[in-house]
Amino acid sequence: MLPYINLGSIGFPTAPLVYIIGAWVSLYVVDRAARRLELDAETIYSLAAATLISGFVGARLTFVLLHWSSFDDNLLGILWPLNSGYSGVGGVLFAAAATYFYARWKRLDLWTVLDALAPGIISWLIFTSLADFLGGPGFGALTSLPWGIEQYGVQRHPVQIYEILVGLASLGVWWLATQPERRSLDGRAFLMTTAVYAGGRLFVEAFRDNAWYTTNGLHVVQIISFVIMLGSLLLLAWRSSYSPVKPATES
Amino acid sequence: MNRERLEWGIIIVLAALMGAGWIYVSRDATPFTGPTPVTTAPYVLGNLAPDFTLTTLEGEEVTLRNFTNDSGQPVVLNFWATWCPPCRVEMPYFERVNAKYEGRAAVLGINQAESVEAIQEFATRNGLTYPLLADRDMKVNNLYGILNLPTTIFIDKNGVVDEVLIGTISQAVIEDRIEQLLDS
Repeated sequence: MLPYINLGSIGFPTAPLVYIIGAWVSLYVVDRAARRLELDAETIYSLAAATLISGFVGARLTFVLLHWSSFDDNLLGILWPLNSGYSGVGGVLFAAAATYFYARWKRLDLWTVLDALAPGIISWLIFTSLADFLGGPGFGALTSLPWGIEQYGVQRHPVQIYEILVGLASLGVWWLATQPERRSLDGRAFLMTTAVYAGGRLFVEAFRDNAWYTTNGLHVVQIISFVIMLGSLLLLAWRSSYSPVKPATES
Repeated sequence: MNRERLEWGIIIVLAALMGAGWIYVSRDATPFTGPTPVTTAPYVLGNLAPDFTLTTLEGEEVTLRNFTNDSGQPVVLNFWATWCPPCRVEMPYFERVNAKYEGRAAVLGINQAESVEAIQEFATRNGLTYPLLADRDMKVNNLYGILNLPTTIFIDKNGVVDEVLIGTISQAVIEDRIEQLLDS
């Protein structure tokens, strides 16, 4: 839609700009979330920054390792260009590991940390969808529905906009789950937000055209979302049944 | 406590049934109805790549459809110019990738508006052997709406534009995308 912003003779790629803004907004959101949950905002902010940096480095390193034959005679290529060449799975694993070990190092309760990180993670995913919409490879299936958008001469589902709406709905759920009178169980806000986001992505992924399919035509992202949604609900049920419930605070 | 567990059980079973059902239904709910051909549009993602015929430095005619429709090969179009430093960085990558995937995927370097002599001299000096196509009158550059160099367009076996990457890309990214197109 807008892959490059041209200012005179200088062009700026849109997607990396959106990612940089997204990183800043996500950290800001985590800071605000920590204050809302009455946590040490400085520590949680540092943890979120470590998570973000680890995710970025991990995504790059995983891609490099998976394609080592292309890098072994060009080591500078690991550092540049950085506008493409990342592994999403590697990024998530490194970020999760950073969160876990940082929380242990600072003796923080992991569920409480996840409650504070949840809106930051969702904000990052919203900006990822926005970057994809403006300059990325994703596009929706053909449609004649009135809200379809004109892309490259044909009408398509605005699938990334659907993703952004799912993200905003998840943020709304987090906000409701962290109302003072509802804060009776650490981790509930994170698990509810995750379940709603995964369920939403499961639904809207059906409208993506260049999706990642299994050999029998199922959407891989839908299957991953399905597993995450059910996992979150099961953990929520288990924690609700077996974890000690804190007395809710008055607003 | 038992009532709470029962409620959770109902919620989880319902979510599982609805989720699995939607995954199954959406497998066929939005069938790929085929791209619509376009002739002039920038960033033609998801649509048929506009066809063209250009000549190589040796004077041989190259037509896009010969690779996609006729041979069923994915195609990588790299738009470049000799005066563009970021383009020069990635040209050895295209050279190596072309050698690696020869016969399975096509790599075409489409020059922007320069003379055959200038391209020939550049290719000789840098040892480039993959097809470099001259587009002196910018017909194909304009057809694809190329505004920034380098721009690399990945086209699948059916001739549909799968991805457009602007800026220098690494050899690993080129190989990664070709592997995906070969597997799709």
